[in-house]
Parts: sequence; C-alpha cells; structure tokens
Amino acid sequence: MTWQLKPARDLGLPAQERLRSHGREAGLGSVVVHGAWRALVRAHLALLHRYEVTGQENLPEPPFVMVANHSSHLDALCLGAALHGPAARHAHALAAGDTFFTSGATSLFAAYALNALPVWRKRTRAKELETLRTRLIEDELVYILFPEGTRSRDGSMGAFQPGLGAFVAGSAVPVVPCHLQGAFAAWPATRSWPRPGKLRLRIGAPLSFAETAQDRAGWVEVAARCEAEVRALGGKAA
Amino acid sequence: MTVPWRAFEHPVTVGILAATLGVLLLAAAVIGVLSVTGRGTPAFRRELWLRLGSWAVLLPMIIIPILLGREWTIAAVTLLGLACLREYDRATGLFREYLLTAVVAIGILAANFAALDHWYHLFVALWPLTVGVISVATIPQDKPAGYIQRTALATSAYMLFGAGLAHLGFMANDPLARPLLLLLVLAVGLNDVAAFTTGKLFGKRKLLPATSPNKTIAGALGALICTTALVAFVGNRVFVGTPMENWFLLILFGALVSIAGQFGDLMLSSIKRDLAIKDMGTIIPGHGGVLDRFNSLLLVAPATFHLLHYVIGIGDGQPVRVITGP
Repeated sequence: MTWQLKPARDLGLPAQERLRSHGREAGLGSVVVHGAWRALVRAHLALLHRYEVTGQENLPEPPFVMVANHSSHLDALCLGAALHGPAARHAHALAAGDTFFTSGATSLFAAYALNALPVWRKRTRAKELETLRTRLIEDELVYILFPEGTRSRDGSMGAFQPGLGAFVAGSAVPVVPCHLQGAFAAWPATRSWPRPGKLRLRIGAPLSFAETAQDRAGWVEVAARCEAEVRALGGKAA
Repeated sequence: MTVPWRAFEHPVTVGILAATLGVLLLAAAVIGVLSVTGRGTPAFRRELWLRLGSWAVLLPMIIIPILLGREWTIAAVTLLGLACLREYDRATGLFREYLLTAVVAIGILAANFAALDHWYHLFVALWPLTVGVISVATIPQDKPAGYIQRTALATSAYMLFGAGLAHLGFMANDPLARPLLLLLVLAVGLNDVAAFTTGKLFGKRKLLPATSPNKTIAGALGALICTTALVAFVGNRVFVGTPMENWFLLILFGALVSIAGQFGDLMLSSIKRDLAIKDMGTIIPGHGGVLDRFNSLLLVAPATFHLLHYVIGIGDGQPVRVITGP
C-alpha cells in the first residue's frame, strides 16, 4: 500500500500571496463560505431575476470549462449558480486580476466568496497558463471563463480571444458553451448595482478539442468554434 | 468571570510574569546592543528582531487568556486546536476530505466543550466516540480507496489537536490553573532554548539525524536537566500543601514535561520530513506556523494532566457540569 500525502499546492505562501495564487486550494472554511455565497446568489437570482436555466443535462462530470458571452458582473454568478455538487465546489471563475485582486479586501471576497482565480490582462505568463491547465486536469476543476476578455459595453458579443485554447487544446477536457440573456439589461458595466430583470442561461452540448493542436493555430480554432457555438445558442435563445 | 485581582493572587503567577517580562526586555537589550555595535550580519539581526517581535505578540496572546480565567483559557485552547488542525490538514492533504475535516473540527469543539462544562466523564467518553465517528464517517461515500490513509490522518489530528490539547483547557478548571498553565508554557519554551543552547555548547553526536539534523544528544540531555530542575523548583511552590509537594513526584513531573516536549518537537519534525516541507505555515514571522511553535505542548498537555490528575485530582472540589448540569 502506498500512501499519497499531497500537501496543498499553496502551502507555505503568505496569506496575501495565497489569495492571488493559481495554486490556491479550498479547504473546509472556503467551501462553507463559498457554499453560503452560492445560496445567497441563487436566492437573489430567483427573486430578482426569475433566473431560468435550460440544457443542464449537457453538463459533464468535472473537469470542464464553461464559456459564455460577457456583458455583466452577473455572468459569472449565473454560470456558477447553474452548477451543483462537486462541480459547484470545484468551480473557479477566472476573474480579471486588476479588478478583483487589487486590495486585501477584494482579494478576500474574490477568493472566498467567488472562488475566483486571477487572470492578469496581457500579463498572464505561459507558466501561469500551464499551472491553470495542469490543475484543471489533475484537480478535476471547472473553470468559468469569458473569452471576450472584458464586459461588452453595448450588450453585443465580441470576438473570443484565443487564450482559451491553452486550457483545452489537445486535452480530453471539454468546453461547455453557454449563452446568457438579460444580464446586460439588468447590470451593465455603466451601473453600480443590478436592477430586476429576467435572466436566461442556455447550456449547449460539450465540445471536445482532444485532436486540436496545442499551438497558436489550434488556440484560434478553439476560440472560433466556441464563439460560433455561443452565438448559435444566443440565436436559438432569441 | 474572575475578579481581576484574583488573577495575580498566587505568587508563582506574579513571579512567572515578572520573569517573562524580564527575559523579553533582556533579549531586546541584547539585540539592541548587537544592532548598535554592528555585531552579526544584518540578516541575522533582522531575524532576531523578527523572532522577538513575534514573541512580543504571542506571549500576551498566551498569557492574557490564562490570567482572565478558565472560559478564556478554554476558548484560546480551542482556537489553538483549530489552527493546528488547519495547518496539519493542508500539509498532509487531509483538507481535501471536507467531511472528515468537519468531523475532526466538531470533535475539537466537543472536547473543549466538555472541558468548559467541567464534565470529565464526557471529556473521556468523547475520545473513543469521536474516533468511532471518524472511522465510519466516509463509509457511506462508498469510496474504499484511500480509506486507511484518510481515517488515520483524521484520527491522529483529532487525538493530537482535540483530545490531547483540550487537556490544557481542562486544567483551567483547577484552582491552581494560572500558575500551573503558565509554568507549563514557560517550561516548554525553556525546554527548546535549553536544548538549542546546550546543543550549541556541548553537542557533538546527533540525536536523530534523519529526523532533525540540528538536534544533538547533549542538547536533549541539557534540556532534560534544565527543564526538570526548573519545573521541580517552581512546582514545589505551586503545589504547596498537596500530595505533589514531594521531590520525587516533582522531578518526575519536570522530566515528563521535558521528555514529552522533546517528543512533540520530534514528532512534528518527523511529519515535516515525511512531507518534505520546512515549516507547517507562515503565520508567525520568524517561527513558521502555529504547529512549529506549539508542537511541544501537544504531548505535554495530556501527559502532565494525567500525572497531576492521578496525584492531586485536577479540578476536584470545583463545580462540575456547569453548563449541562441541573
């Protein structure tokens, strides 16, 4: 019998550094806080937004990556609220580091409530992408990702950035395309707080990129296919 | 809640507080002289200031709850147990087993509740019962792979940080709690210093080089002699008028503090070597984690409790089941 003692990936990091680390692993405390936050978010979405999810049967067992159109801070909350069980506990929203991880308080909120991992716009290094890819597979995680890179300022969907391909090209990890409708009207980037309004999430069938090359051309292919699927889901929703 | 001045009514309490303050001031003066005269490397001096600063924060966090009384002492021991669990579960990987971590955390709270209630029968009954719950908790998951490992890790975590450490809190039910607990905390601190100092001065042969390469046989014996002498000497003033006022028992008590303290230290070294990590955490600058600082108390607490309980009866004559009683 071989014992497999596997210390936390973030062991030995000072508190502040740990919050921003891509190796941050949730313990019991984080899981309890994150679970309480998810319950609050679900109540908010049900009461103020009559939140509706279709296609939940398309969600595979972790690991997988969820991608969607991005026009609001509600987006990550909606996608997270559509997950249940181990997938919900192992879901990390990949959030803009320069918005969510700038101070101690926002980092605490992003890490414990949102269970977010930071992505630094135009500053994310290849090694960090590799760490995220490794963790996705080894730790059987779920990443919630918005490949447009930023919230749409007019509600229309922008082009997907190819960075998404780094996580899934050449691996068995599927991408689940999603389309969220109503988030821009409820909470656009120009508003400080959300207002009531119907939200609809449509979850599409998972896409596999196991045969796609892990290079720049492969990444572009991943982004293009995912973008087309999300647009198609948006078309169906309309 | 205790009347404030009663905290200082035992002369040993005042003596230990004065000695602790004196040692801190002396250390500050020595490091200050080193800094002014420029002796030692800047990195070494910085390390010394860091360690002293940590002690200046840690000591009030240890001493003030003891002075405030049993409720505060038990609350502090509970927090210490939970902090130790967090470091241990993250280092060993047990933290990925949410259910077992929750059972151990509840077990720690329950053991300390029994101490707070001053209900010895519950306190003792909780040890096998909690281990039983740990043993069956993950069976319904139908995941036999890794069962022995996770159950063993959780059991040792509970026995060390719950059942073991809660003995410190249970001691707070005794009228002699303040001088006794201060003596134990002071003694395990001195035990480390004595082992380090005598090891540096006389140490040649390594004690257990694969486990802890810096420890020497001379250091271990030096700590045993110094700590036993101090505990026996101070204990003679703590246990006046009790069956413990006996030099044989006092020397046994002192030796137990030193030996259990050193084994606690070596136990943590073994865990860290097995995991190939240097420190269990980073929360205490200059020391590492909470476990790196408090490892010696883990075995000292139950070992000394049961000697004293056998000889003088810890908490005898005090109100029992103060929360659950009629």
